[in-house]
Amino acid sequence: MDRNGKPDAHKRAKLSEGAKNQLITGNEAVALGALRAGVRVVTGYPGTPSSGALGSLLQMDAEESRHFEWSTNEKIAFDIAAGTAWAGQRAMCTMKMSGLNVASDSVFSIAHSGVNGGLVIYVADDPGAHAGMVEQDSRGYARMMDLPMVEPMTVAEAYEMVILAFELSERIGSPVFVRSVTSIANSHAAVMVDEPVAPEDREPILERDIAKYTKAGSAIAQAQHHDVIRRLRQAGEAMREMGLNDLRLAHEPGGVGIISAGVVGAYLDEAFALLEDAVPQWRQPSVLRVRGTNPFPAEEARRLFARCDTIVVLEELEPHLERQAWVEARRSDFGGRIVGKLDGTFERVGEYGVGHVVRGVSEALGLEEPRAMERGAVYEKADRLTAARPITVCAGCPHRGTFLAINRALRQRKLHRDEVMVTGDIGCTILGMNPPFETVWNEVSMGASIGLAQGYVYSGLKTPVIATIGDSTFFHGGIPGLINAVQHQVDLTVIIMDNYWTAMTGMQTNPGTQATFQPSGNRRIDLAELIPAMGVEHFFVIDPFQLEEATTTVADALRLPGVKVVLARQECAIQAQRRGLRAGLVAVDAELCTACRRCITVTGCPSLSLDDETVSIDQGLCYGCSLCAQVCPFEAIEIKREGHP
Amino acid sequence: MTERSTGSTYDVVLVGVGGQGVLTIGRLMAEAALDADLGVNFYPTKGMAQRGGGVKVQVRIGRGIVGPQIPEGRADLVVAMERSEALKGVTCVRPGGEFLLYGHVWEPTQVMLGKADYPAEEQVRELILAAGARLRYLDPDGLHSCDGARMPANIYVLGAAVGGTDLGRVLDPEAVLDLVRRRWERHAALNEAAFGAGLEAMSHGP
Repeated sequence: MDRNGKPDAHKRAKLSEGAKNQLITGNEAVALGALRAGVRVVTGYPGTPSSGALGSLLQMDAEESRHFEWSTNEKIAFDIAAGTAWAGQRAMCTMKMSGLNVASDSVFSIAHSGVNGGLVIYVADDPGAHAGMVEQDSRGYARMMDLPMVEPMTVAEAYEMVILAFELSERIGSPVFVRSVTSIANSHAAVMVDEPVAPEDREPILERDIAKYTKAGSAIAQAQHHDVIRRLRQAGEAMREMGLNDLRLAHEPGGVGIISAGVVGAYLDEAFALLEDAVPQWRQPSVLRVRGTNPFPAEEARRLFARCDTIVVLEELEPHLERQAWVEARRSDFGGRIVGKLDGTFERVGEYGVGHVVRGVSEALGLEEPRAMERGAVYEKADRLTAARPITVCAGCPHRGTFLAINRALRQRKLHRDEVMVTGDIGCTILGMNPPFETVWNEVSMGASIGLAQGYVYSGLKTPVIATIGDSTFFHGGIPGLINAVQHQVDLTVIIMDNYWTAMTGMQTNPGTQATFQPSGNRRIDLAELIPAMGVEHFFVIDPFQLEEATTTVADALRLPGVKVVLARQECAIQAQRRGLRAGLVAVDAELCTACRRCITVTGCPSLSLDDETVSIDQGLCYGCSLCAQVCPFEAIEIKREGHP
Repeated sequence: MTERSTGSTYDVVLVGVGGQGVLTIGRLMAEAALDADLGVNFYPTKGMAQRGGGVKVQVRIGRGIVGPQIPEGRADLVVAMERSEALKGVTCVRPGGEFLLYGHVWEPTQVMLGKADYPAEEQVRELILAAGARLRYLDPDGLHSCDGARMPANIYVLGAAVGGTDLGRVLDPEAVLDLVRRRWERHAALNEAAFGAGLEAMSHGP
């Protein structure tokens, strides 16, 4: 790699005359790389920080021979991509790290079978847990599945890595992971983007071979186990040939050697410049920038050990490279120190930056880490004085009405909120955990709310148990849970908050999105038809903007035996507002408003604020849901106009 | 000790609240840098909420290969669009760097209800200075209407940032304004007025 920002991968790619320098995100780079690689099918399920990859493809005009879709969940998405690749075509599947948990059952199996056409799995991890999920390191899956994994160091490399991953996949006949992290996936940087290449005109492969396409019996399964191990070894050889992992040995023997993973490699030079200023007789360390994180680049690592006294391993989250560095150190009789997570220098939590490189090298050199001087106290005070901004639902969000209806229904039933379990699920519906609602108790994984609720019912609780779940999450993983509850005739109430969109990840379509907004040729599946067909005897539909009726319906449902489903329906206000819709128009009557603040404390709506004498409504934010008017004890908020949401 | 920005590199942190248009002006800075053939990485981070949560944007200009995160205490410029969120910029700015504080106040609900504290302007100013930064204050009152329409605050702040700080030596203010004009052709006059008002506000000195 040269210092002007051109990764090695560029040397391989011959740019055509149509190549353009574009400011794009890491996710877009993945999408455009796949187009350049002639991908035919791209599937996925939305999940921060990965959503922008498939999301951007769906907004492009692509050749008719390509197919892109948001699938019902990650496993379905992967199965589709795998089927395409078995038939000999190039396919990619996109997901966040939690999605890989869902897809993993199929990924293991396909890993052992191998593929014919190129199959790339794009998975984006979230060190730092910006999106609030398990801080999970997908490299562990690559190790466990014996699948090759490549990781871009920069946004520009994300483009090249996807093209390379398709080549690698077809060369060794295996799915290949491209792993990214939030800071790459969501960063925008200049990338030389070349013209898309249409999918090759390949005759679909129909090959009858149970030894490859099934796991029928131990002879087949074990032969495939040998195959997957062999393919990973071939991947290692191919990566070495491609020069994927960049080894720069210092001229003088001895000194510090650094092994960095993915994005961390981009911080090294900046940290070295700082250290050069601070450390007398500074010597540039030897460096191994790892982009192929599975299999471990053992040969390059051994050359690094042979040159250096001390090794520093710099990788976010789990010490995957570090553990394998220990193995290679033992094999190569390296006797020096290895600085990393296993010796306690670094935590396994959070993102890395320049500071981590400085600390690691300082530790290796036995120096005091150059501190950020005496500013610690200032930083601490700034942190302490910052006002907290707990996240809540948007102005006009229909979930607000549903949370209020649940809370009121419990009060009507003379139940205290602290004695009724309301399980939560993934997506915007989880915001019911925060004030002012404090309705939802927990959050586990896609669709888990219903099974959890069933477990609480069996725990011996005397109070009703409620499960809450959003529409997309219900389609994704909630349906088996509901079927299970119906089959076992469990006394629980499931509240499905249907706003027609996969909202939290940025408004993707799902099976329940209104027919008008379904991608062309798609059919809508209406939850109001599906749920009764699942054997649910007590099924109700409520409008969360009609608080009284919604409350009564929930309270009534709680009295009934067996499985009750309440479908709370109203479109996501953000989406409706983008089309110029409003649920209505509300205004404060200054004469009647006593500034009791009840509207604010009960709804927590961001469009309400307290002026000198009265409450005021920010009409730019307000969607006119009128929940504030419905909770005002003085009828001081008028509903001026009903809208057509 | 005053640390100078090294060579032609320039690191900007923008902080504010989701809905203020912080991401938009960060993106415009990145585009201007790209147009000027400067290496750039633009990294926005926000929480789960669509609106009302804290937003942070990191723009790194003039580097080839660059990690997205600006090291603590090393930003050449912090642009804060909200008083309390400005405190998150205190840990970012380098000693001797500039801190553009737009004095807008966006109180979280708990503060509005008197259940939580909110920092006084004086406290924020004090901490910015204690971090060794040169404070440039931008008065929200300088934002007025233009032909009956409200000027966009983020473009006002962008005008102040390129017109009244060293960012203007890295990015040509005229080129940035041109980007703004081309981005929203229908609102070109309003945006130009906002941009100009920000520039003008800074010309009076700190």
